[in-house]
Amino acid sequence: MTLAYDFQWSFIWENHSLLLQALWRTLEISLIAIAGSAVIGIVLGAARAARIPVVSQLTAVYVEVIRNTPILVQIFFIFFALPEIGITLPQFTAAWFSLMLWGGAFSVENFRAGFEAVPHEYREAGLALGFSRLRTFIHVTLPIGGRIALPASINTFSSVLKNSAIVGPAVAYGELTHTSFRILEATGRTFEIFFVLGVFYLVLVWSLSALIRLLEARLALPEEAR
Amino acid sequence: MKRVLVATIVAALAGGGFAAWSVAAPAGGATPTAKLPPLPAAIKQAKRWRIGVKCDTPPFGYIDLEGHNAGYDIQIAQWFSRFAFGRANRVTFTCVTTASRIPALTSGKIDLIIATMTFTHARAQTIDFSSPYYVATGRLLVPKSSSLRVGGALAGKTITTTGGSIYDRWVTKCFKNTKLLLFQSPTLALAALKDGRADGEMFDDSFVLGVATSDPDLKLTPDHFLRGPWGIGIVKGNKAMKKWVDSRLAILKRQNQFLKILKRNVNPTLFDAFKNNVPTPKRTLKYPATEEDELACG
Repeated sequence: MTLAYDFQWSFIWENHSLLLQALWRTLEISLIAIAGSAVIGIVLGAARAARIPVVSQLTAVYVEVIRNTPILVQIFFIFFALPEIGITLPQFTAAWFSLMLWGGAFSVENFRAGFEAVPHEYREAGLALGFSRLRTFIHVTLPIGGRIALPASINTFSSVLKNSAIVGPAVAYGELTHTSFRILEATGRTFEIFFVLGVFYLVLVWSLSALIRLLEARLALPEEAR
Repeated sequence: MKRVLVATIVAALAGGGFAAWSVAAPAGGATPTAKLPPLPAAIKQAKRWRIGVKCDTPPFGYIDLEGHNAGYDIQIAQWFSRFAFGRANRVTFTCVTTASRIPALTSGKIDLIIATMTFTHARAQTIDFSSPYYVATGRLLVPKSSSLRVGGALAGKTITTTGGSIYDRWVTKCFKNTKLLLFQSPTLALAALKDGRADGEMFDDSFVLGVATSDPDLKLTPDHFLRGPWGIGIVKGNKAMKKWVDSRLAILKRQNQFLKILKRNVNPTLFDAFKNNVPTPKRTLKYPATEEDELACG
């Protein structure tokens, strides 16, 4: 059997405008989803940490449902099942929304843990100074707990970016993986296309992690910087 | 004397049984002819085929109610097993998708692709194709109330199909103002059509005919486009394999087996719509000569 594979890279260049558009779309849905999941994580994580009735329990249900079901099932539910009850999200919206929903659930846990790690004396000090509970959160718990939650968040956010590879093909949104499958199907150049795809993701995820680490270093608590 | 008689009867029965078995077995397998190309050594050694088939595309490749692989493509694979080993069950089926079938072959996971694969010149650069064993025609599936037709009316409309398929490339090339919604399987594209995300689904008649027959909300437009012959995928440059496959397909064609296999697999009400799609002793299918012919507009 001959398995001589003759490498051809020219078709990558022939499809470069399609690939660049796909790269942009991957960035777009991932960044919207990451920003959204950070907001969800901070707000609902705070509600969990402060044990706000009803909101806290509902959040727990949301987190358990998302964390204990495969993301593909969530995506198919949002894209193909919701239209049955009259909610038809366009591909772009369905793509970032399902990513955000997934990332949000994991972020809730990251931030809850971060906020709960803030020594309660700090919060009591805030309250003793006459701050309201909200202002204590904004000025004391969030700055400290948020930093504690950052390393775990790097994981979650890079997973959001990587999961865009599952979302795109599932909802027919032409991001990197969807576009690569399309080029692969038309050309059959397996090795080249997956190699290029891998390099794209490596650079993307690595850059994202580096950015957040930079942020982490800038925000390091004074006692850790010493 | 008695003993001799018994022995004679036993021998006669055994001989008769053997003769009957020979008749029942296919011509190519049980009575090897010197002229036919031999089975490639790797397959002979493995003592079975590993064949990539579709598992979600009735009536060509699907999983039946008992959980077995079934369909037109599967029965062709079973003929290959008979030709090679004298019985139908010496074949391990691997479910492949449109996106995974060529990688599965080139990475050596399967020996052949028999999975509704349309010949294209681009694919033929990566793998070899057998002679054609079926020809699909493109059809447009639309909601019952739709008046959409293939042509200028597609401008501004959304068409769903599978990514990288000939329909994807054809619409991209010939209908520049048509939006595409590209999924990895025709079944997902169908779900999107039913959700109202697209105005029509373009796909092989093999898939959409069955859908249009069973779904009262959908219909096929009268348009026929992109007649695309299917071939069996073979590792690039494996000449011994290609010779073996082509010679056995020629036997099936001569015996008119393709029509018989088709008849066993398609819904009787749809048989007439399918029957001109298979090779017969009198009908030889041909691949498009150039890349231009493959996706000719209009």
